[in-house]
Amino acid sequence: MPEYKSKSYSHIIKIVLILIIVAVAGVYVRAKVLPGSFGEFGHYRGDAVKDEINRPLRNGTNASCLVCHPYIREMHLKGVHHTVSCEFCHGPVADHVKDGKVIARLPKKQGRDIKILCLRCHNQIIRARPKESIKMISMPQHLKEKHVRTDHICNQCHNVHAPLMWVKQARAMVGVEEDSK
Amino acid sequence: MIKSIEKEISLDRRAFIKKVLGGTIAGSLLLVIPAGAMELEHIPEQIPGMRKEIGPFITGKKFAFIVDITRCIGCGSCCVADKNEYQVPDGNYRTWVERYVIDDKDNVYVDSPNGGLDGYQKPRKDLPYPVRDTFFVPKLCNMCEHPSCVQVCPVGATFQTDDGFVLIDDKRCVGCGYCVQACPYSVRFINPKTHTADKCTWCYHRVRKGLLPACVNVCPVQARKFGDLNDHESEVYKILHQPHVVSVLKPDMGNKPSLHYVGLRREVV
Amino acid sequence: MSPEHGAAVATALTNFVFPNDLHVHWSLMIVLYPYITGIVAGAFIVSSLYHVFHIESLKPVSRYALIFALAFLAFATAPLLIHLGHPERAMNMMLTPSPTSAMAGFGYIYSAYAVVLILEILFIYRPTLVALKQKSTGGMKFLYYLLTLGSDNLSPEALRVDHKITAFLAAIGIPMACTLHGYVGFIFGGVKANPMWATPLMPVIFLLSASVSGIAGIIFSYVLIKRYTGKSIDMDCIRTLIKFLWGCFILDFVFEMLELFSHAYMATHHWEALRDLYVGPLYWSFIVAQVGIFSVIPFIGLGILSLVKLSDKIVMKWGTILSFMILVQVLLMRWNVVIGGQLMSKSERGHAVFHPGWFTKEGIIVSIIIMILPIALLWLLSKVFPFWLDDDPAVERQSA
Repeated sequence: MPEYKSKSYSHIIKIVLILIIVAVAGVYVRAKVLPGSFGEFGHYRGDAVKDEINRPLRNGTNASCLVCHPYIREMHLKGVHHTVSCEFCHGPVADHVKDGKVIARLPKKQGRDIKILCLRCHNQIIRARPKESIKMISMPQHLKEKHVRTDHICNQCHNVHAPLMWVKQARAMVGVEEDSK
Repeated sequence: MIKSIEKEISLDRRAFIKKVLGGTIAGSLLLVIPAGAMELEHIPEQIPGMRKEIGPFITGKKFAFIVDITRCIGCGSCCVADKNEYQVPDGNYRTWVERYVIDDKDNVYVDSPNGGLDGYQKPRKDLPYPVRDTFFVPKLCNMCEHPSCVQVCPVGATFQTDDGFVLIDDKRCVGCGYCVQACPYSVRFINPKTHTADKCTWCYHRVRKGLLPACVNVCPVQARKFGDLNDHESEVYKILHQPHVVSVLKPDMGNKPSLHYVGLRREVV
Repeated sequence: MSPEHGAAVATALTNFVFPNDLHVHWSLMIVLYPYITGIVAGAFIVSSLYHVFHIESLKPVSRYALIFALAFLAFATAPLLIHLGHPERAMNMMLTPSPTSAMAGFGYIYSAYAVVLILEILFIYRPTLVALKQKSTGGMKFLYYLLTLGSDNLSPEALRVDHKITAFLAAIGIPMACTLHGYVGFIFGGVKANPMWATPLMPVIFLLSASVSGIAGIIFSYVLIKRYTGKSIDMDCIRTLIKFLWGCFILDFVFEMLELFSHAYMATHHWEALRDLYVGPLYWSFIVAQVGIFSVIPFIGLGILSLVKLSDKIVMKWGTILSFMILVQVLLMRWNVVIGGQLMSKSERGHAVFHPGWFTKEGIIVSIIIMILPIALLWLLSKVFPFWLDDDPAVERQSA
């Protein structure tokens, strides 16, 4: 029977000790690194709600644009486009104003881009649109009916903010009562 | 004096500034001009009473989102507003608009090029039979009462707030993608910039500031409606409590969405 | 226009994938993850067949199977970490595991299993490690000192307790190995939004395919290592392993087909989309490769090897080839489940396409490296833990 330096169960005791140390260390580390607000309201970091609330606004509302653009406001709110968002065509207000200062100009659509923009809503050929909700037109039939050149851009006849403004003014000037078709 | 100036400011801020700069009004009064058009006092509350809610959660209100597919014109304003609000990386969609086309033989064709972000400029010309019916369906987070994404998130990084919103903590999300797999509505994606899960939040940050979700705010035809079900005068309450054709997506999933659809067709998934 | 042609046109036209479903979020890494954990679980079961169920003919591979399992276990989390968007936050799974999440348990189940496996190895190898410590010098001596936890006690009293602990660990190891892999199956099977995954059969199939891949991995590597090192192969062991492989594979293959069959037979509103998936993007990888080639051939081949009296040479050669085919079958099954399940859009009107990249973060090269690493580790472990009883100084001493 050979002599052993260590006792019969020494390795088992060591393993149990190592496991206990790992478990205790795990509990300790968890308590140390867990965010303070975790579990405040549920199984999540309570401060995450605040983080989400504090996410910066990028879009405002039409009111936030029109407060500084009174002439546009005048037109826009009176016209049939009053429900159209400023930021849909021009981009988010956060790209334009920061801390009360104008930081950049927002793009204005020009030329053919205007036509593409108008047809996003008014293109009759997209049949999925409910017809009763807004006025639909076909291109280039619409231009032909109006006896204008077919390369005309929409904003040559229609003010984009109040599409019927110029049309109505023109009619008033010449005294023609045309049916709205 | 101050009152009259304030009135003038509220009427026309830019003209007022011009007057100030032009010396019409004494220069010292510049101090009264509030800074920043994005500051909330310039934007009237769209959801009444929200700015008084300063607790951790909204109390006394139960929000619902209604999409009226009989009104949607597929312009994609909502998608544009959403992308701008969150600077969503290309190819990922917090909200999108689908176009349904049903032909004479009852075949259903659906498309959503770039999620409807560029609008619908062209009709579908690749269909063999005459078209019987066609409509648009906007999609966004269903804000489920029993959200699968919250159930499966292994680390508690996506959660349901006490006021019923399902949000994501992008500081704890490990980006495993399990919630993306679990969402029956495919509204989730892994944001390629943050490498965390991302999805529509019904613009929780706007709502808490008294503003409507960006998509609701821009919709020109009120196809998207957002409101408080506890307010019996609200449009959403009336729609859900009057005999309208209202349904939710994939009701058999058992998720109980808070997103409702008016005029939902059986073809829509 | 023929009706078939019309149907094809309609399918092509109706193909609509939700915009967020175009991207396959779980790619090659998540194919490898259940593959590797499956091999771990299967190899452990082989070892337990000897240690718990006392199937004596498996003694030659009983210790090797444990080291084999350890080598793969060490890299089971590698594909997961590569896949995570924020691997540095991986410990969140252990810190705040969500009680409702099917995935949250992985950290703890995996760790517990790792502890059991490592302890099992240390206890089984203890006499060997003590003997090797006495023989070796320098760094190796220190390594063996650590592995024996500084104990040199091999008294009958100590060995008796060791043996009891070993039996206990092996016994709880079996349900744990089953839990580990059944659970991996449930991670997929519990996703109700995905009709291809959401079936109670999924954990069963994962468990059976895990056993199959583990046994096949042991046969394949055992023969290769023995061949390469020019040592004799225990044919009794190989024949027993082949019988077990065949038995498990019968169950595995039957359940895999049963899953497909129940989808087809019940034909819920999901079936149309699932069928399009199986005959469409999964045609080659599922119907042709997984079922047609890598299931049917091993199924018949293993049956013949198990039932017909054949020469050792044929059994060894074909046993190895068929084991390799089984390893491919299981890998294909992982691919078809993980990737296939995501190809079907939740719109159930179409499917996405997926082609793995070669050099991307989760691409083919990385996958190959991840599959080589356990084999490299196995080689390293062979320098520390002798696989075979013939090389074991403790056994020599006992017989001498």
